[in-house]
Amino acid sequence: MNQEHPLLQEELMGYADGQLQDGHAEQIAAHMESCSECAKAVADARRLSMLMATWQIEQAPKQLTESVLAAFDTRPHRRNSGSEFGGWTRGRVLAWGFGGAFAVLILFVVAVPSLLRSRQATSEYKQLNAQLPASSPSTEMPQSDIKKIVSGEAGQGQGQQGTLGQLSKSTADSPTGPMVIRTAQLTLITKEFDGARARIEAIVRESKGYIDHLTVRSDPGSSKSLSAVLRFPSDTLDARLADLRKLGQPKEETQNSSDITGQYTDLVARLNNARNTEQRLLALLRDRTGNLKDVVAAEGEIARVREEIERMEAERKGFDNKVQYATVQVELMEEYHAQVQPGTPGAGTRIHNAAVEGYEGASETILGIALWGLTYGPALIVWLVVLSSLGFLAWKLYRRVHS
Amino acid sequence: MKAANMQNDEQLMLEFQGGSREAFEELFSRYRNPIYGFFRRRLNHAARAEELAQETFVVIIRGAERYEPKATFRTYVFAIALKQLWSERRKEMREARTAAEPFEEGRNADPANGLWIRSALSRMDPDQREVLMLREYEQLSYEEIAEVLGVPLNTVRSRLFRARAELRTLLDEQSIKGVSR
Repeated sequence: MNQEHPLLQEELMGYADGQLQDGHAEQIAAHMESCSECAKAVADARRLSMLMATWQIEQAPKQLTESVLAAFDTRPHRRNSGSEFGGWTRGRVLAWGFGGAFAVLILFVVAVPSLLRSRQATSEYKQLNAQLPASSPSTEMPQSDIKKIVSGEAGQGQGQQGTLGQLSKSTADSPTGPMVIRTAQLTLITKEFDGARARIEAIVRESKGYIDHLTVRSDPGSSKSLSAVLRFPSDTLDARLADLRKLGQPKEETQNSSDITGQYTDLVARLNNARNTEQRLLALLRDRTGNLKDVVAAEGEIARVREEIERMEAERKGFDNKVQYATVQVELMEEYHAQVQPGTPGAGTRIHNAAVEGYEGASETILGIALWGLTYGPALIVWLVVLSSLGFLAWKLYRRVHS
Repeated sequence: MKAANMQNDEQLMLEFQGGSREAFEELFSRYRNPIYGFFRRRLNHAARAEELAQETFVVIIRGAERYEPKATFRTYVFAIALKQLWSERRKEMREARTAAEPFEEGRNADPANGLWIRSALSRMDPDQREVLMLREYEQLSYEEIAEVLGVPLNTVRSRLFRARAELRTLLDEQSIKGVSR
């Protein structure tokens, strides 16, 4: 488009094809009257269309009509069995087939690395367990001792820093048995509430557990109740539950166990990977000198990995705590005996109170009426005047008619 | 009911949905030759063109219950025909049939009988050629072409413009060759 031809070639084409809005077409028609070049372009386009129209096709054969009308007549039953699979076209079958295969492939790609990681951690853990009897006096070696061997603190662990030390670096935190979180709920009714409460505290103390949370309610006129969350070493849970049941009559009891071995093993594997990554990054930073940008990037990555390690360690400690200490929620309720409430006022006091309340009630009523009169009185007076005037006029009219 | 030949395509299709044979016959009579011509211009074999035209109408018959007058019936019909054509082309490619290259018989043709045009069209870019043919032979509007091909309206305009320019160039080349021969 330029000063002489303010139209695009595509606009001229649209005009030649009759595909422009009326106003726009008129504008182009007006322009063409004074512009031979644009008029020639339009004429060329029309000539090309006419040239193309020289390619003529014969009429559709009669058989087409017959076959299509036959298809119409048989439409409820007719099916092109070659192109359909139970109502699905071949294209749809292929599309869903490829789509499904692609989804399975994606699932495979995502799941396999995770599975391999878990299996790797498990196999390392098994390998460590297989080696432990040879390097320690007991097959049931505590986790703390393994750490000592790894760090070289234990005397007999000094000489076994080779293979075992290497293995233990990656599996030091792996569980030595099933990791099970145990929880229980116990509801008791007791006649001796205070004694039972003291006994609960003694049981916790003796078992080297602790009270996570404790609330006592004691309202006048109702029974006392206690709600507590107690933590006991898991291996003593059954004995402690037996002790607690003796405190009163058990009303309800629930016990749950949750196996988190797989979850824990996976967490440990991820933790070890993160630690290795951190070590590699530290070594990289120490041994290689790069430009400032690379150093800053490496330090940023170390900080991120460290944060991840600390988060996973906190998570692991949380698991350890839940596994080592079982959770018992105790609800203790005192057996309720209704009692005569002391301090009921005498008859004189009650008469006096009734007289005072009556006087106050009467005063409030009078005050209420006065306030109501002041609020609605003026409007009532106006309405009264209007209605009585109308009534008077109506009465006069009635009298005049009947007289 | 109005006489079938006084109604527009969409009204006829809705009546056909209700089971009217008369409505279908009227629609068929309107689109029999355009649909046959559509395939005949794009395929080498007349028999195959007839089969695909028949399949197109069969699809319309079977899909009548699902038809909704959201777009013009012309768009609906040619969209189905185009899908049939693409399906045929894919099949030809798989079977490596020569028909994948249409219009072959038009080379070295005479301008008088349209073979000249066929020869030039056969050498065009397929996307541009399709837009041009839908416009010139099926007489679809720009909007209808955009809807049938599933491309923006501006793409239709630009492809059509380029297609015409290319066709002119090819016709000019053929003209020069014809004169020199």
